[in-house]
Amino acid sequence: MVPFPRIPQPVRQANASGDRLTLVALTVMRVAIGWHFLYEGLAKLLKGNWSAAGFLLQSKWALAPVFKWMANTPDVLAVVNAMNIWGLMAIGLGLMLGAFTRLAACAGMLLILLYYVCNPPLPGLYYSIPMEGNYLIVNKNIVELAALGVIAVTSTGRFAGIDRLLAAWFRKRSLKS
Amino acid sequence: MTEEKKEPKQEEPEPAEGKKLGRRDFLQGLSTLPVLGLFGAAVVQQARFDRKQKTKAAGTVKPRAGSVSDLNVALLGAGAQGEVLLNAMLKIPGLRFRAVCDIWTEYNRKKTVNLLRKYKHEPNAYENHEDMLAREKDLDAVVIATPDFWHSRHAVDCMKAGLHVYCEKEMSNTLEGARRMVMASRETKRLLQIGHQRRSNPRYIHCRERILGEAGMIGRIATVGGQWNRSAQPDLGWPARYAMPAERLKRYGFRSMAQFRNWRWYKGLGGGPIVDLGSHQIDIYNWFLGGRPVAVTANGGIDYYPASTHEWYDTVMAVYEYETPAGRTRAFYQTQTTNSSQGYFENFMGDAGTLLISESANRGAVYREPSAPAWDEWVRRGIVTAPVLSEDPAADAAAAVLDVRETVSPEKYGLPVEFTDPYHKPHLENFFDAVRGNAVLNCPAEVGYECAVTVLKVNASVEAARRLTFDPKEFEV
Ligand SMILES: NC(=O)c1ccc[n+]([C@@H]2O[C@H](COP(=O)([O-])OP(=O)(O)OC[C@H]3O[C@@H](n4cnc5c(N)ncnc54)[C@H](O)[C@@H]3O)[C@@H](O)[C@H]2O)c1
Repeated sequence: MVPFPRIPQPVRQANASGDRLTLVALTVMRVAIGWHFLYEGLAKLLKGNWSAAGFLLQSKWALAPVFKWMANTPDVLAVVNAMNIWGLMAIGLGLMLGAFTRLAACAGMLLILLYYVCNPPLPGLYYSIPMEGNYLIVNKNIVELAALGVIAVTSTGRFAGIDRLLAAWFRKRSLKS
Repeated sequence: MTEEKKEPKQEEPEPAEGKKLGRRDFLQGLSTLPVLGLFGAAVVQQARFDRKQKTKAAGTVKPRAGSVSDLNVALLGAGAQGEVLLNAMLKIPGLRFRAVCDIWTEYNRKKTVNLLRKYKHEPNAYENHEDMLAREKDLDAVVIATPDFWHSRHAVDCMKAGLHVYCEKEMSNTLEGARRMVMASRETKRLLQIGHQRRSNPRYIHCRERILGEAGMIGRIATVGGQWNRSAQPDLGWPARYAMPAERLKRYGFRSMAQFRNWRWYKGLGGGPIVDLGSHQIDIYNWFLGGRPVAVTANGGIDYYPASTHEWYDTVMAVYEYETPAGRTRAFYQTQTTNSSQGYFENFMGDAGTLLISESANRGAVYREPSAPAWDEWVRRGIVTAPVLSEDPAADAAAAVLDVRETVSPEKYGLPVEFTDPYHKPHLENFFDAVRGNAVLNCPAEVGYECAVTVLKVNASVEAARRLTFDPKEFEV
C-alpha cells in the first residue's frame, strides 16, 4: 500500500516557519487583490452617482428575484450601494496592508460569491452588459475567489503586514492578563 | 542574505512566541504600505486625466457674459417651433418679451401670451406683423417662426424697422425670397441669424473644429451618408371651436384650416420633408466638408400619402457631389416619412475612420478603421474618449463567425462633449450675444442662403428627374 500522501511542505509551512519565497509570492498576490478591491470601491465612490441597480437588474439564474428585489427597493438599494463602496474599500485596504487579513479575505470571498451568483456564466445564460472575456462557469470572479481562499488560510499578514504588529500586541495583552 | 545569517531568528515569518517586537518586525509589518502610496499617486493621475478630458471638451463652450441689460424681444409666429424656441429663451437671462404676433389669435397666440405672463413678462399681442412694427418702438430683436413662405417678408420688414432677426430655417421657400433677406441684412446692417441650430451645438462644433479640423483623424472623406427617417403620421388637426375664419386664412395665404396646419406639405408654402428636415443635415454636409456641392441627383415622389393633401414628396433620396480641397466627395441623403428606422444622423466616412453625429440625445461616435494608425494621441488630447466595448452583442456574435474576407468591426471612440441644454439654446444665445456685440453669428444670412441653394435644388432635381449642376455663382448674392 502506498502511504497516504502527506501535505506538501511549502503549504504546511506557510503558516508556521515557512519558505520565505512562498510567503513573498502570496503577499504579492494579496496586495494585488487588495489594490483591485480598493480601486473598485474608490472608482464607484468618485463616480458620485454609481449604483448597483444595473448589475442587479441583469441578474439571471436562481437568485435573480432576490437581486431584482434589491434593485427595485430604493432603501435596500441604498444600503447595497453603500456596502459595496465602503466594503470594497475596507477589504481592499485590509488586504493591501495585511490588517485583519483573514477577516478581509473572507469578507471579500463573500462579496465575490454574491457577484458571481448574481450573474453566473452558466451554460445557456446570456448577458447584455458586455464582458471583456469569454467564460464558462469559471470566470475571473471565481479565480479571485479561489485566490482569496488561499489568502484566508495562509497568514501572510503576520509575515508582511500590520497583522504582524497586531498579533504581537494582542499576545502581549493576553500574557499580561 | 549575509545579514540574515547573522540574525537567524529574524528570518521567522512571524514574531516568535514571547519575543519582543523588533525593528525588523515593524519594517516587515509595514512593508506593503508604500504600495498604498503608489495607489494614491495612480488615482490622482487618473483623476487629473479625466478632469483634463472634461475641461478640454468644455473649452468649446463660450463662457456667458456677466451682467447684461435686458433686450426687448418679440416673437413672430407662435406655433410648435415658436414654443420650442420660447422655452429655450426663457432659460436665457437678459431677455424681455414685449410682443407676440401670430394670426391664430384664438389658440397659439393666446397660449403663448399666457405662458409668458406666467414668467412675469407682459407682451402685447398682435395678429399682423406690420401693426406690431408700427406700434412697438423699442424692440431690439425679433424671433421668427412662421411658415417658410412668410420668412422673407417678415424678416425683411423687421430688419427695415431696425430689428435684429433670428429667423427659422428654411430661410425661405424661394431663392428670390432668401436673396431679398441677404440684401436687406446688408442694407440695414441688421443681424440675420438663420435657425440651423446645429451650427451652435457644442457637440457639432467639437466635431468640426477638433475631430475634423485639428486632428483630421478620419482621413480623406470620400463618402457621406445621412438621413432623417420618421414614422408615418396623420395630418395635423385643430380643435374645431378654435378654427380661424376663412377670410383671415385667405388674407394670410391659406386655403383652409387643414392647409394652414399642414403647410409644410404644400407647394408655395413649404418645401416638403426634404427641406423641412433635410436642410439641417445638408447644411452640416456643407459645413463639415468645407465646400459647396457641384451637382445633385435626386429621386423621390409621393409614394404613400394622398397627393391631394401632400403636394411635396414624402420620400426623397439624393446624392450630392462635392469638390473639396481634398478631392471629390459623394454625399447621400434621404428623408422618408413612413418609417423611423435608424432615426436621424449624419455619417462622415473617411479612409481612416467614421464620424457619426446626430442632434438627437447625444448620439455620436468616431470609429477607427482597423488599418488606420492608432488614435491614442487624440484620446490624450481630449479629442475623443477612449474606445468603448461594442454595445451590440449581436455584432460580437457576428464577429465570432467572421470569415477572413470580412474586415473586423472598427473600434468605437466616444465624443467628449455632453450637451444637455435645449437644442436651440446655444444658437439663440449666439444670436443675442451678437446683438450685444459680444459674438459673431454662427449662421448669418449668407450661410443660410448657401444652404437654401443647396437644399432647394433637390426638389428641382426630383422634378426634372435628372442630375442638376450648381454654378458657383449661384451661391453668391
Ligand atoms: N429649427 C428647427 O429645428 C425647426 C423645427 C420645427 C420647425 N422649424 C421651422 O419653424 C417654422 C414654424 O414651424 P412650426 O412647426 O412651428 O409651424 P406651425 O404651423 O406649428 O406654426 C406656425 C405659426 O405661425 C403662425 N403664422 C402663420 N402665418 C403667420 C403670419 N403671416 N403672421 C404671423 N403668424 C403667422 C401660425 O398661426 C402658427 O402659429 C418653420 O419655418 C419651420 O421650418 C424649425
